[in-house]
Amino acid sequence: MLTFLALTSVALLGIVPEQSQAIAIYTGWERHALVGSDIRLSCSFFSWRWTSEDVTFSWTYRPDGSRDSISIFHYTGGAAYVDNKGPFRDRLEFVGNPGRRDGSILLKNLELNDNGTFTCDAKNPPDIVGRPSSVRLLVFEKVPIQAGVITGAIIGVVLGLLVLIVVIYYLMRFLVARRVFSLSVSKHGKKKKEGSQQRQGPVPPADPSKVKAATSEKKKQESRKDKK
Amino acid sequence: MLMLAAIVVLHITTIILLLVAAIDNAWWVDDLVSADLWGRWDLSNNVWHYTNLKGYPEDYLQAVQATSVLACVFSILALFVFVAQLFTLPKGMRFTFTGILQIIACLCIMTGASIYTAKLHVNGTSGGYGHCYILAWISFVLTFILALTYFILRKKKE
Repeated sequence: MLTFLALTSVALLGIVPEQSQAIAIYTGWERHALVGSDIRLSCSFFSWRWTSEDVTFSWTYRPDGSRDSISIFHYTGGAAYVDNKGPFRDRLEFVGNPGRRDGSILLKNLELNDNGTFTCDAKNPPDIVGRPSSVRLLVFEKVPIQAGVITGAIIGVVLGLLVLIVVIYYLMRFLVARRVFSLSVSKHGKKKKEGSQQRQGPVPPADPSKVKAATSEKKKQESRKDKK
Repeated sequence: MLMLAAIVVLHITTIILLLVAAIDNAWWVDDLVSADLWGRWDLSNNVWHYTNLKGYPEDYLQAVQATSVLACVFSILALFVFVAQLFTLPKGMRFTFTGILQIIACLCIMTGASIYTAKLHVNGTSGGYGHCYILAWISFVLTFILALTYFILRKKKE
């Protein structure tokens, strides 16, 4: 029994690290930026092993429309080496924290020629098998209006105003009705006999207008029916 | 009764015309191009391809999209409010709420079609306005007539 348990645990310890030794690298998918601004390209990785002291990060850049990529950044042995000859000399800065598995770089003062694909490759010895991850950089002169933003804003504002106006209208009617009701109740409470007479007072003036409307409407209906 | 049915039928027809104008893809039609507010169909090698609109001023196009959608929404709301008011309105009163919603729909479609006419396709490139554009203007007229009807009509007092 004990030997069986020992054998299975050894087998598991042998199998599991074999399958989980791939390192997984995460960067963004696409980044948009304005000309002249700075952008931070983030890169981090996941590994089953502890972060080793020999962890390395390297960034390569492939311009849009080109098939060659050049190396622009390398971190190894505890020191960061930035581009000092290529298109990013004096514009690249390392802002990551290798101890926390962060290999991000900062690109300053972007130009239109910086459009392209940036690839981050990280290695965490002995975990070295992995696929580098790429982020695409798009540099704009003017931030384009995203499709549907203005459309959605106009529709939302107008419908919101409509709902607001309806709610306010019914609220006012409710408040006015409540105030009239409380007034009539207080009057009814103070003068019981005179209250009933007072209520009949305001009603008669409204009736003639409604009767007129009814007869004119009936005449209209009859004339329309006659026409048809 | 007959007039009520006629008004409801006219309202439903207006809603259908508005929906067709907003959804169908024939605001600007050419031999090889059929464009509307949302995209364009290009004919190449006898196969139609759907692509994004290009060369339109973005903000005006999105304003036209918004107003045509709002016109449909308000017209449908006006129909439901009309049916509700048929049952709840005190006798002898006018259908003002329905009329207000319908006149807002009329204003929306008028704004949309006007912006489309004034700001898009002003260079005189080949092609002409398609049937959706014409339907938009027809539904403007119909919504206006319906709004006036709702403002004048009174509920029967029997």
